[in-house]
Amino acid sequence: MLTYVIRRLLVAIPTLLGVATVVFSLLRLLPGDPANLIAGPQATPESIAIIRHQLGLDLPLWQQYLAFLGRLLHGDLGISSRTGQPVLQEIAVRAPYTAELALCSLVLAVVVGIAAGVVAATRRNTGADLGISSSAVFGVSMPVYWLGLMLIVVFAVRLRVLPAAGNDEGVASLVLPTITLALFSMGLVARQTRSAMLEVLGQDFVRTARAKGAGRRSVLIRHALRNALLPIVTTIGLQFGTLLGGAVITESVFAWPGMGRLLLDSISARDYPVVQGVVLMLAVAFIAINLLTDLVYAYVDPRIRYS
Amino acid sequence: MRLRQRVITLLMLSGLALAACGTGGSGQQSTTSGTKHGDTMTVAIGIDPDTLDPAAQTTTTAAQIVDMMAETLVTMDSNGKLQPLLATTWQQASDGMSWTFTLRSGVKFTDGTPFNAAAVKFNFDRLLSPTTFKSQPGVLGGKTGIDHVVAVDDTHVQFFLKSQFSPFAAALTQTNSAIISPASVNVAPNKPEVITQPVGTGPYVFKERVASDHITMTANKNYWGTKKANFDTQVYKIVPEAASREALVKSGGADVVVAPPANDIPALQNDPSVHVILGPSDRTIQIVINTQDSTQPLLQKPEVRQALNYAIDKNAIIKTVMFGAATPLSGPMANSVFGYCQTGNYNYDPNKAKSMLQAAGASGMSVKLVSPTGRYVQDIQVANAVAGYLRDVGLKVDGPGTVDWPTYVATYASVPPALAKTDLHLLGWAPAYLDASQSLQQFYSTQIPPAGLESSYYKNPQVDALIAKGNSGTDQNQRAQDYCNAAKMVWSDAPWIFLYNQKYPFVTTSKVTGVTGLPNEKFVTTWASPK
Repeated sequence: MLTYVIRRLLVAIPTLLGVATVVFSLLRLLPGDPANLIAGPQATPESIAIIRHQLGLDLPLWQQYLAFLGRLLHGDLGISSRTGQPVLQEIAVRAPYTAELALCSLVLAVVVGIAAGVVAATRRNTGADLGISSSAVFGVSMPVYWLGLMLIVVFAVRLRVLPAAGNDEGVASLVLPTITLALFSMGLVARQTRSAMLEVLGQDFVRTARAKGAGRRSVLIRHALRNALLPIVTTIGLQFGTLLGGAVITESVFAWPGMGRLLLDSISARDYPVVQGVVLMLAVAFIAINLLTDLVYAYVDPRIRYS
Repeated sequence: MRLRQRVITLLMLSGLALAACGTGGSGQQSTTSGTKHGDTMTVAIGIDPDTLDPAAQTTTTAAQIVDMMAETLVTMDSNGKLQPLLATTWQQASDGMSWTFTLRSGVKFTDGTPFNAAAVKFNFDRLLSPTTFKSQPGVLGGKTGIDHVVAVDDTHVQFFLKSQFSPFAAALTQTNSAIISPASVNVAPNKPEVITQPVGTGPYVFKERVASDHITMTANKNYWGTKKANFDTQVYKIVPEAASREALVKSGGADVVVAPPANDIPALQNDPSVHVILGPSDRTIQIVINTQDSTQPLLQKPEVRQALNYAIDKNAIIKTVMFGAATPLSGPMANSVFGYCQTGNYNYDPNKAKSMLQAAGASGMSVKLVSPTGRYVQDIQVANAVAGYLRDVGLKVDGPGTVDWPTYVATYASVPPALAKTDLHLLGWAPAYLDASQSLQQFYSTQIPPAGLESSYYKNPQVDALIAKGNSGTDQNQRAQDYCNAAKMVWSDAPWIFLYNQKYPFVTTSKVTGVTGLPNEKFVTTWASPK
């Protein structure tokens, strides 16, 4: 198992280099000159040239690339061209907010989603199943932007029980953004759980377990759900990755200072070092989550062995 | 039965887990929403300031925050007139090549060091230095700006310029001229190249900043001025969504918010719990016409361009698309700008437009129109309206196409004439210090890209001469006359479809008062107080 993990980590290195190269190239293919944008409307050609030099953009492309790689190998993600601060610092300030929101949303989505999926599977074709399945579709289809604003209008403006935006009121600030962000994953996990459970519940070993006298709860959780978990774990792993990087809309609507907004602001400002840094960090996170998911498989299903 | 209990237990446990998540403490700010005791005022703005370094300022949103902490030698009042601030008097030399400022004495920076001529010299040297990160000297630098600064004595500073530049004092109202303590540039986290915590002489002092989230300032108890800050603390929160900002001011989560959704302005104006202020702005919004257009050469004719001006009902656009937050243009610049004069009127007359087009052989001509989205208030919506009016007079309009702002700048607004990719494009132009020298940059052929941003490529030697004369003249009345004459020619040559002068809307709760708008799109919360 250890050799497996080490091998996966070693393979991650060329993957990350590939990601770095792709994002470096794609950024420079985008129209829009960072120096021009930073310099503002009253800038003279002279001050634009000075800024271009400060950002290292007057060097030939291959030199810029080598400098970028060189810094990367020392763990240096460079300096933000928007703020002049180290990229690592820009990310480090915002990462905890993203992680907090992503984690809380995931917990909510997993707990409610799995529970709902199990209920829907065991009460198949009843009113409960219909209700849960429709809610799941609603959760997956509802535009996050609209949903977030609707929650704000109801709970913050009309009822005044929760803050409209920001993160300065502790748990209260987390409630609405967490629900908004979790709804999509919740619907996905519920549907995934329902179909995985239905498939497993129809299998012979479940009938055997019932026949041998196992209690209803034991059949459902210990026998059926545990065997249905593999596809559900995959979904959860993917969702976590998406939540880490893709919460831009929720973060914007609720003024949550996370990585999604950092990425959006940096792309809008053509802040190459920050975009490169954030994409690399997200790649690292995805690789780590993938590895974790695979390890969880081995835990959940003893038949899976890695070497 | 037992399954249901299990599920309920799980839900309760996850509720606890979530509570644990929340109290993890993510840089919480101990502000109270609302201003019950005059101790904290919360302001919601839409963009995250890139930097608080005065020398690197490019946006009014960030600049107005810096203004609360670091002051300039000269300031602008709400009518756009110059007033003394850190300087008490100023004088242009008779040859126009230098200016002498008398500084206020007895003023200290908030780190205790004295404000004096040496500090002023330090700041301008820093502004002009190529090692200062993203420094934005603008007109104060370059081939026509400051050559060198001399600290004559503790209270007198002399600026030697490379050219005669008459609006120099006005240019010093910009935040890039704000004075910070020279000693503070070496105190961490500041560095001489990048200032993150400006230490100035102003009524507020930097307290804390959480990137993308908020900036907190506390009142300067030793402020030199007679006016005092009425709130102990002011917090500027960054809330990117207009609808969320509106929700904040309506729910009491913020006392002042900038730019609510434009279509909600009428409803907010009828809401007694909030107060809408349509702040003055010098920003003109126009459809820039490619006057050197080779794909649609008909646009090179002034009469065709005039016809386009007659084709647009600006008042209807202001009423139904801008919700009243604008005034129609009566000159090529806002009427708050020094050098403005009324130059004419392109009233809405589609029949006149059609006959002018016909006379010029331009009936039914094709044009391409582009606009940014979300850069200016209701920009793409206005462009759609303009396209409709142009189609009404028989033109074939391709568009309005739209792209994100950086792409827009790179593709349409800053390309030389040979690389022009559109016939018409929507743009805004807002002079920072309310002088026609800045407004008329848009008609000065020395500013045609790549040298500047004159994206109509308009070239009129008579206008150029008048602008140059106004820029370097020393008699203010003569300057105003020169600019007026230039503006009249520009109006008649119509390198733009002149639309409107946008207002800058911001909303306060009915519990605060004293928030004012400056004509350069800054709004001032410094002197606000609870009602």
